[in-house]
Amino acid sequence: MASKKGEQGSLKLPAVLDLNEATQLHGKLMSLRGKALVIDASAVERAGIQCIQVLLAGAKAWGEDKKPFSIAKVSDAFQKTLQLVGMSADQLQAQEIR
Amino acid sequence: MDMNEIKEIFFQECEEQLAELESGLLKLNDGDRDPETVNAVFRAVHSIKGGAGAFGLDDLVSFAHVFETTLDCVRSNKLEPNQDVLKVMLKSADVLADLTNAARDGGSVDDSRSRALVKELEALANGEVPAPSATVEVPAAATAAAPAPTDESGFAPIPFSFDGFDDEEEAIEGTVYDVTFNPRPELFAKGNEATLLLRDLSRVGEMSIHCDTDALPSLDQIDPEGAYFRWKIAVKTTKGEDAIRSVFEFAEWDCDLEIKVQEAATDAAERAEELPMIPVPFDLSMLDGAGSEGDADGEEAGAAANATATTAVAAAEAVSGIAKLAGAASRGDKKDAGAAATAAAQATAAAGAAPTIRVDLDRVDRLINLVGELVINQAMLSQSVIENDANGTSSINMGLEELQQLTREIQDSVMAIRAQPVKPVFQRMSRIVREVADMTGKSIRLITEGENTEVDKTVIDKLAEPLTHMIRNAVDHGVETPEKRVAAGKNPEGTVRLTAKHRSGRILIELADDGAGINRERVKQKAIDNDLIAADANLTDEEIDNLIFLPGFSTADKISDISGRGVGMDVVKRSIQALGGRISISSRPGHGSVFTMSLPLTLAVLDGMVVTVAGQTLVVPLTAIVETLQPEASAIHSFGASHRLISIRNSFCPLVDVGRILNFRTTQANPVEGVALLVESEGGGQRALMVDAIQGQRQVVIKSLEANYTHVAGIAAATILGDGRVALILDVDAVVGASRGQSLKPEMSLAATG
Repeated sequence: MASKKGEQGSLKLPAVLDLNEATQLHGKLMSLRGKALVIDASAVERAGIQCIQVLLAGAKAWGEDKKPFSIAKVSDAFQKTLQLVGMSADQLQAQEIR
Repeated sequence: MDMNEIKEIFFQECEEQLAELESGLLKLNDGDRDPETVNAVFRAVHSIKGGAGAFGLDDLVSFAHVFETTLDCVRSNKLEPNQDVLKVMLKSADVLADLTNAARDGGSVDDSRSRALVKELEALANGEVPAPSATVEVPAAATAAAPAPTDESGFAPIPFSFDGFDDEEEAIEGTVYDVTFNPRPELFAKGNEATLLLRDLSRVGEMSIHCDTDALPSLDQIDPEGAYFRWKIAVKTTKGEDAIRSVFEFAEWDCDLEIKVQEAATDAAERAEELPMIPVPFDLSMLDGAGSEGDADGEEAGAAANATATTAVAAAEAVSGIAKLAGAASRGDKKDAGAAATAAAQATAAAGAAPTIRVDLDRVDRLINLVGELVINQAMLSQSVIENDANGTSSINMGLEELQQLTREIQDSVMAIRAQPVKPVFQRMSRIVREVADMTGKSIRLITEGENTEVDKTVIDKLAEPLTHMIRNAVDHGVETPEKRVAAGKNPEGTVRLTAKHRSGRILIELADDGAGINRERVKQKAIDNDLIAADANLTDEEIDNLIFLPGFSTADKISDISGRGVGMDVVKRSIQALGGRISISSRPGHGSVFTMSLPLTLAVLDGMVVTVAGQTLVVPLTAIVETLQPEASAIHSFGASHRLISIRNSFCPLVDVGRILNFRTTQANPVEGVALLVESEGGGQRALMVDAIQGQRQVVIKSLEANYTHVAGIAAATILGDGRVALILDVDAVVGASRGQSLKPEMSLAATG
């Protein structure tokens, strides 16, 4: 995907982030690669492990690209699911992860 | 996989579980005290509850939960399963079945009934148990946490009750378990959701978690549906390792799971430093669907408060506190032992049962149809080879014979797929008996025999409705009230006997009651009142008995919920006939009535003898034929104006002229020129059917005449022969009946297909 430098991308996560959604989410992330990305997770009601994996991989990739990757709004359910699987929303921000 | 398909499978399994449940309870009712029986009953309810939880069927779950709780009392020998207890349990099984049906087909269940039963069950669980509900609830709660197979669409609410938690157990320091949970991709492929498992785990006890994300590949290489995360979890719980294992019950084959006890509590702190463990809060309510979270939270808070309170009390009263600890510990052991026993039992059950698959009935039917065509085709092929090949010793003939045997075997095997024991239908009947007996205030025992008699699935499916009708009639009209029975010198408890057996290639189902029998006076009067017969008609006892099969007939003085609206027996008769069966009744006043239904085992093929009658080709079902013989002139005797008898080995047997009865010819055939087929009819008597010649014997595929044309009296169905011609299959009983003077009128014909 050709990307313009400095472009700001945004992605609103759907309410249900289940197994079926993981592939789509992956595709969306791939297409937004190279842009600074703000993710809106305010609508998330359910999140499955696959989507979290994809998001984390995304955060890593953005970190490698040295592009900002941030999660702006986080719904309570999303927050709690992250906590439940032993992660924090911070881990999903772009940074050099480990 | 589609959600609805999964649900459909769940309901199918429910049916099996319900059958298991009922037969187990009935066994207990008969005095069986085998712990395995109790376990089977318990397992059935538990599985239904587990599955229902996954689909958010809250009504079903809550009822199953109470039921399970009471059953657990029986299982742990706290509750003696006497007659009264079992009565409640059997009713509960009925309600459970209703709830399952309501969940599947919509509709509602009588709330008051299930509520009343819930109360009764709870009373049983509490009343006779020295240590009250808490003891019972804890294991139940632990098992409730077991995740049922979940749907991939996300979280399914698993209603979860902490009702019994206001107990001192929370005050005890729990053991810390280290759990390593490495899911494999298959786990997710099967629709399990790791977050759900973790959520359930968090409910087992206080949980800290570390997620190892090192294995996660880069975004370019990631498989979005892969499994990359690994977890290290510390769970502090009082419920023991089994509770943790049960969380992973459905997942353990698809993940690497390690559970071990952490040596010392201080370790936890050290480890926490090594790995950043994130404590998981109890308040996960957002992750639940609607419903269950409220009470879970509330109860948690309550439990916590209670815990501190009891700790204080324990500190003040050290002695009693220790006693409590000891008590709780032993309780824990007991529960563990129980869980282990269940697990072991499940394992043996799994090992014992032969592997099975579920197949759509349509597929089997398609196969059967194709095999039918194959049989016809094979017959055609051999016929044309024989016609074109004068010397019958060629290798083609040998090959054809083998082919014939093979098709035959294929057909038998395919038919065996459809054959099912009548047991499930019979089991449903015991419920009907219970309910109707309850409503009418009668005491009735249902005895079933020959439950394992196998018959075609279609026949089984269509048998339930008429049988239900007849059972209701038998209980409502047949068996008298206990007072009347005592007055008549009978056992106050009535008996209804339901038997199934194979006879001459058909299945015979008999329903016998030991009631008053048919009141012939009243039946006749009613028939006259309803203009069904002429007032001066002169009927034999048998004919009067058969009046009850006429449409619009009812002898009940008042219409009840159960029966008596006059839409009963004629409908029964029609549905039995539609199956190619016949129904007959015999009644002895004061001793009860016996209804006999005779049904074909299969609706697809039959072995037949191909015969010629007046130039027509007919097929006589081989199962009906006892022997064939060439009559001699000296053996034929005239009897009355038109009847003839044949003497066979010093006994006389009526001679039935098939061609005459079917109106193939107007004059009587000469017996000496033809062949006599000695047949046995349903009634048991023997008749000699007169045909012109025997062509041979072969297996024919039944083609319904009704479906393609219309019903023909005396003809059961049609078939296609090897040469491509259509031949009619003779309805032996109808023809025999006709020979006794009954006309072959369509409404009196005895069989439709088969």
